[in-house]
Amino acid sequence: MFEFVVSHYNYWAYVGLMMIGFYAMMAKKNLIKKIIGMNIFQSAIILFYISTSVKKGGVTVPILEHGHGGHGAHHAVNIMQYANPLPHVLMLTAIVVMVATLGVAVAVCIMIYRRYNTLEEDEIIMSIKRG
Amino acid sequence: MKTLSVITGVLVGAGLIYGTLDMPKWGDPHSAASTHVSAYYLHHSLEQTATPNVVTSVLADYRGYDTLGETTVIFTAGMACILLLRRGRSK
Repeated sequence: MFEFVVSHYNYWAYVGLMMIGFYAMMAKKNLIKKIIGMNIFQSAIILFYISTSVKKGGVTVPILEHGHGGHGAHHAVNIMQYANPLPHVLMLTAIVVMVATLGVAVAVCIMIYRRYNTLEEDEIIMSIKRG
Repeated sequence: MKTLSVITGVLVGAGLIYGTLDMPKWGDPHSAASTHVSAYYLHHSLEQTATPNVVTSVLADYRGYDTLGETTVIFTAGMACILLLRRGRSK
């Protein structure tokens, strides 16, 4: 039981972080706070993927030893020595998507502020209802 | 509204934690994510792409089309920001 908790509690930390962001997206009235919640949510997913690439026992970053000089192909690669490169690559793509969504969301917020002079959701809805 | 959000968050979180019970152990070198295609990349990256950094070779060589699509995402986001934020257009 204790061993199970020790080997799985990292996933639970990411679930907690993700739900903090999810709660901020749902419950907060301020649009900037909603965007911050969305960023926390995405960061939790990125941390989760990075944690799947870890291998126990003296692993390093996935940059091959003896890689330079053109004669590196003769060395056999011990894959237990390097962390899994695939989640790192996928999360590079996810970071790009994260930045893109953040930029567009902040631009939309600026437009909303120019039109309604507020970023509070209920005030915007009141202003729309008033016409 | 706040209570509804807390209840939804707790329910979704409980479902996700139930999902993690089947996940491999932290740092398990024989987990599904670290065995099949990742081992192929680590073994063949140097002879096929001559790049010691495996992350670079996967990003730019094996998954080059993915990276091309990524630049499309960035381009679309940049165009959206410019179109939203430019001043002086007719209202």
